[in-house]
Amino acid sequence: MKNNENQSSTPFFKWIMDDFMLLLFLGVAIYTIFYLLWGVMELSNLPAIPEDVKQPLTK
Amino acid sequence: MFRTCDITGFKVDLKAQQLIRLNAVFAVISLLGAVIAALLLVFTRYQPVHLLSSEWYYRLVTYHGVNALIFWIVFFEIAGLYFGSTVVLNIRFCAPRLGWLSLILMVAGFILTDIMILAGKADVMMTSYTPLKADPLYYLGIILFAVGALLGVVLFFGNLMIARQEKAFGDTMPLFTYGMMTAAIIAFITLVTGAIIYIPTFLWSLGLIENVDAGMYKLIWWGLGHSSQQINVAAMVSIWYLGSFLAVGGTSINERISRLAFVLYIMFICLASAHHLLTDPGLSSAWKVWNTSYAMYLAVLASMIHAFAVPSSIESAQRRWGYNKGLFEWLVKAPWSNPAFSSIVLACIGFGFIGGTTGVIFGMEQTNIIVHNTIAIPGHFKGTVVIGTTLTFMGVTYYLIPLIFRRKIVGLGWARWQPWMFFFGIALLSVSMIVLGQLGVPRRHWDSTFSGGPFTYNFNPATDFFWTLMMLGGTLAFLATLIWILIVVISVFFGPKVNGPEDMQLPISALAPEGKRQGKYEAPGTLILTLAFLATFLILFFLNWKWLAATWGVY
Repeated sequence: MKNNENQSSTPFFKWIMDDFMLLLFLGVAIYTIFYLLWGVMELSNLPAIPEDVKQPLTK
Repeated sequence: MFRTCDITGFKVDLKAQQLIRLNAVFAVISLLGAVIAALLLVFTRYQPVHLLSSEWYYRLVTYHGVNALIFWIVFFEIAGLYFGSTVVLNIRFCAPRLGWLSLILMVAGFILTDIMILAGKADVMMTSYTPLKADPLYYLGIILFAVGALLGVVLFFGNLMIARQEKAFGDTMPLFTYGMMTAAIIAFITLVTGAIIYIPTFLWSLGLIENVDAGMYKLIWWGLGHSSQQINVAAMVSIWYLGSFLAVGGTSINERISRLAFVLYIMFICLASAHHLLTDPGLSSAWKVWNTSYAMYLAVLASMIHAFAVPSSIESAQRRWGYNKGLFEWLVKAPWSNPAFSSIVLACIGFGFIGGTTGVIFGMEQTNIIVHNTIAIPGHFKGTVVIGTTLTFMGVTYYLIPLIFRRKIVGLGWARWQPWMFFFGIALLSVSMIVLGQLGVPRRHWDSTFSGGPFTYNFNPATDFFWTLMMLGGTLAFLATLIWILIVVISVFFGPKVNGPEDMQLPISALAPEGKRQGKYEAPGTLILTLAFLATFLILFFLNWKWLAATWGVY
């Protein structure tokens, strides 16, 4: 496929956009931080269900 | 060992070719199972027939979901990853033995999972939310498949490393391969998340772990369940660019912006898994709003860029071929008799107008509440995964048959109208389901009349009309899929061999000539179409907020 890249693109952005291992790292990191870790932290900090509520539900 | 393609001039590693072929074959087998189940499900939800028992209904919902949303697409995507990283780059496959191991694991997982579902050992639906428990072998099947697919993704990156070492591409890789790299990164995220949740669930099913928390399960599982559909989006868009290139010699009018859009997918699209947790009480609104907005709609922006870039690449090329009259001569004189081209254009329209608009609206915390857990949600993803991804994969297969399987397409006349039939069938099915959902019809429900239940509910009588449309659309789409499968199977196994360019039935266009822009804009027709799309989106957006406002009366 013809490469229409504008040669004037800054090296910094070219560096980010062409390094697939860096992109892999960025993709994994953003998802892990915002979706997984943040979500797990919120669920982990929920107060435990009181035993007197839990007992009738689990019977 | 290589062969040189006498049609494209590409060097094709024969080991890669074999793996591409086999992955594609298993994709088609998965799709066949999925659509047979789909037809039975349509005629069960269509109340005048109400075909299956409740037991088989839920069993086949599980079977259909896993085969359509996981096996069909992932087998095909692995074939696409190998194609994009070896054939397109003219390099060898990095580790053929591991490629075989990947395929064996995937096929073993596919067979084991399907057997367990059909044997009634895993009536847990595709989501398999805990504490619903399936047979351990079901979870093992999914894990084997995921590990095999993950290995395939790793091999894709291995191929890219070889390509970089051998300087198979210049400054940057071709746009199609770049898009497939995006799909591979999303696949990596997806499959690792799958392992994180399925391995403890497997141990729990064996009795080795006491409990898998239901809230935590949902959170992590959707990192697999929704992100796997984002692999589709990236792969599908890559094929759209490839299709434009093959059919009319089109290239993105600003390739750097197209690449930037793929980067936005990599960074933000997987956050959208949160859509499925919008009514879960354990997660905060901040978490929901940030994640369901794909980080302030940056991944939606990426889709909007592609939605303009793909048709504008076609328009720009067509204009350079001389189809310059008015706004739409380029579109009227497009190669509509090429089923790969028509598939891609129809997929683009359906994905945008049905799947895309509803995706953004149903993904918002406020408007989601009107349709959460209604049949509108599967209606939405019929507009994305089926019209978008499946039709795109069907279309590009018409090129793979002669180029990779080296066979002529048998029944080209049928192939020319198959995409149209599939498009109209799924569009009818999808829109009907969305309207039914807006009228409150639940999803994954065996009997919408609640017969024999302790309470009943009378839906708006208009639902009868839309149930009929849904049934007709589903049947039409089923027949179109069957035609496609027959064309593929007969062509691949019994079709005449392709001996040279003279046997190529679908044209491969030369690169569109360089030419001067005629007016102020490079692609004015696409601009008008894009504005029409935005107007449609705004109308639907307004309507959904209006319906939300009318849901509860204020006195």
